[in-house]
Amino acid sequence: MNHITSQNPYFGTDFFTFIAVLAQRAWGFLTGSSMELTSDEIQMLVLVGISISGALVGSFLMLRQMSMLANSLSHTVLLGIVLVYLYMSRFSHGDHDHSSSLNVQGFLLASLGMGVITTFLTEFLTKVGKVQEDASNGLVFTSLFALGIILATIFARNAHVGTEAIMGNVHMLHREDLKLVYVICLINAALFLLFYKEYKITTFDAPLASALGISTTFFNYLLMIQVSAVTVGAFRAVGVLMVLALIIGPPLAARRLTNSLGWMLCFAALIGALASIMGVALSRHFLSVEQVALSTGGLVVCCIGFLYLLVIFFAPRTGLLFKFYQMKNLKRVSEK
Amino acid sequence: MESPLFYFTDPVLRGPTIACMLMCLASSLVGVMVYLRKQSLLGESLSHAAYPGVLGGVLLGVFVFAGLDEGPLLAAFILIGAFLSALLGLWIIEILTRHLSVRNDAALCFVLSMAFGIGITAASRLQFTHTQLYRHVNIYFYGQAATMTDLHVLVYACISLLVVALISLMYKELQLITFDRDFASIIGIRTKTIDTALFILIVLAVVVGIRSVGVVLMSAMLIAPAVSARQWTNRLSVMLILAALFGLSSGFMGNYLSVELGEYFSNKYPNENIALPTGPMIVLVAMGICFVSLFLAPERGLLSRLGRIFLFRYKCIEENFLKALWRINADGDVTWLDLSRRMDTNRILAELVLFQMRIKGYIFRKSFNVYQLTGQGRQRATHVVRLHRLWELYLVDEIGIGAEKVHRNAEEMEHIITPNLEKRLSELLKDPKVDPHQQPIPPSTQKG
Repeated sequence: MNHITSQNPYFGTDFFTFIAVLAQRAWGFLTGSSMELTSDEIQMLVLVGISISGALVGSFLMLRQMSMLANSLSHTVLLGIVLVYLYMSRFSHGDHDHSSSLNVQGFLLASLGMGVITTFLTEFLTKVGKVQEDASNGLVFTSLFALGIILATIFARNAHVGTEAIMGNVHMLHREDLKLVYVICLINAALFLLFYKEYKITTFDAPLASALGISTTFFNYLLMIQVSAVTVGAFRAVGVLMVLALIIGPPLAARRLTNSLGWMLCFAALIGALASIMGVALSRHFLSVEQVALSTGGLVVCCIGFLYLLVIFFAPRTGLLFKFYQMKNLKRVSEK
Repeated sequence: MESPLFYFTDPVLRGPTIACMLMCLASSLVGVMVYLRKQSLLGESLSHAAYPGVLGGVLLGVFVFAGLDEGPLLAAFILIGAFLSALLGLWIIEILTRHLSVRNDAALCFVLSMAFGIGITAASRLQFTHTQLYRHVNIYFYGQAATMTDLHVLVYACISLLVVALISLMYKELQLITFDRDFASIIGIRTKTIDTALFILIVLAVVVGIRSVGVVLMSAMLIAPAVSARQWTNRLSVMLILAALFGLSSGFMGNYLSVELGEYFSNKYPNENIALPTGPMIVLVAMGICFVSLFLAPERGLLSRLGRIFLFRYKCIEENFLKALWRINADGDVTWLDLSRRMDTNRILAELVLFQMRIKGYIFRKSFNVYQLTGQGRQRATHVVRLHRLWELYLVDEIGIGAEKVHRNAEEMEHIITPNLEKRLSELLKDPKVDPHQQPIPPSTQKG
């Protein structure tokens, strides 16, 4: 890593210089002068990939009022991650750099499994166990998460895995991670393009969907699997819990900007990507200006919160500022 | 292995044990109210929302009152910070759902993830400069009761007991508000005030709970004891007591297991530093209780419900057999061949049912594969037929459904109609003698 930092053009830059250097390098990249990706750029690309796929699945989750299922998934994938880790470490003796030995397929499989298991168990408790939906949600994810933590502590003999998996660490990212994240991002985008109509119908008009023979249950499961794929893809960068902010935050903001589903998806992806870039830039800024190392993932989440606040106040038509002016105008008109 | 009693007498282990139990007691009592109001996931959001407050308290302690270590003042800062930020989280959820038309689930999810992100950012501030404190803060993820000093224990115990006391004081009001809100407000209970009080109780329970169960798993301690208790009873008072018991025992067992297993594993792997967090242990024990309750509870348990379904199915099959025997030949021999033409039950099940009916005395076997109804069997069969025809008549006369359509529905209803219902039907139809298909309706076998 050292040789990268020594020639890292972002080293010692503040927020605005960072953006400027980024723009310059992006231009250079587009015009064809080939260059190595720096660690900041890898972080940024990974985060952008995560936030785009997060924003896509998040939009549908939010519209289907299933956000809390995403919350459960973000907890339960920990168990999947721990299991993959244990499996891998059993077959790669003496290889302590587990990050490289974990491959894409293993994680995708784990996310698939945990997505199905979580959804199934929650539905089972609700329908067969007659437990309230909220409560069965809470029961399933807490117990699987607890199991994951215990397994990590006992078998990996390393509570660190647990802490790392829920907090993430962008500084451990390298080029391999780009592959996992963008495979997931592409799969998600492809699925949404392929099933756009089906997703739209099952989200907004479930009776019509069943009349047309489109199974809402199937698309629920598919969506849950996609969510858990996003979570698994994100855990090394931002941790399984903070990815929730990348999933639910941008769609909430985008929802206030538009009423059309297509635009909402675009805006959400854009906001997520913007927040990711801002987060990395801010992290660099704090490091070079204040000499304080802050968690990049956390900063990305803060940026999402900030962007949401901006949208609440300044969005056209729905923003508080706009409404305030509207009220003022109305008053003036009514006084006349 | 130490005896469980040792955990209450040993000066080092006593504190964490009692604190754990009291925390779980508080959260399970509050959890019952939350569960009945169908807001179970609120606890999840609030516990995450308390996390930045923990950090806020620590940062305040470090940078404003410099050089503060794990003293009682820091603990106070953490408590107050967590309390305030959980309240703030509650307020933000309220604003999002009320004024910004965000759906409840999305608001909960947004607040919890935002709070967590902000908390982590703040925690990372400490990571390299104040490693000791950073480790201390990380305790709040999964909970670690063992590191609590007596003073901590005292403070946390007081708050837990306060929660318990408030719940018992407000018991009547909470009960009324939970089950009949309109009635409560009519008789002059200030529902808004009680609501606010309950929210503050939730926040308090969460704030004391995160020390031993952890931010991430706190919601389990609100949900699991309540769900388990709900399985065993329909009464609120009993439910509260049961939840309290479940909470206390999972608090104790969680702490016990985390200490014992921790010792076991550090003996087994002496080179590695294994500290089992209390939170997951407590949660797993609570889940164990919960799943046992879900399966085995007498009334609502899965097993007993399956049993009831099975018994009912069996009763239907038995009654269908009796009916078939009666139709074929009420007073004489019925061969298996005749029976199998009417019933498409598989052979093994059929033999079992016939055997059971022989034991119960409904039929007797004349020779191989030849059966005859006994008096008792005939009586039961005519009863079923009577119910069937009564219901058909009712459907045709009172509801006006065509006579050709009523048979299938009556096939099901004949197994369900209770004696009381039969009497009412018979009265309503003026003790009829023939059904819509001009078949005689057998007279009632009921006495009186």
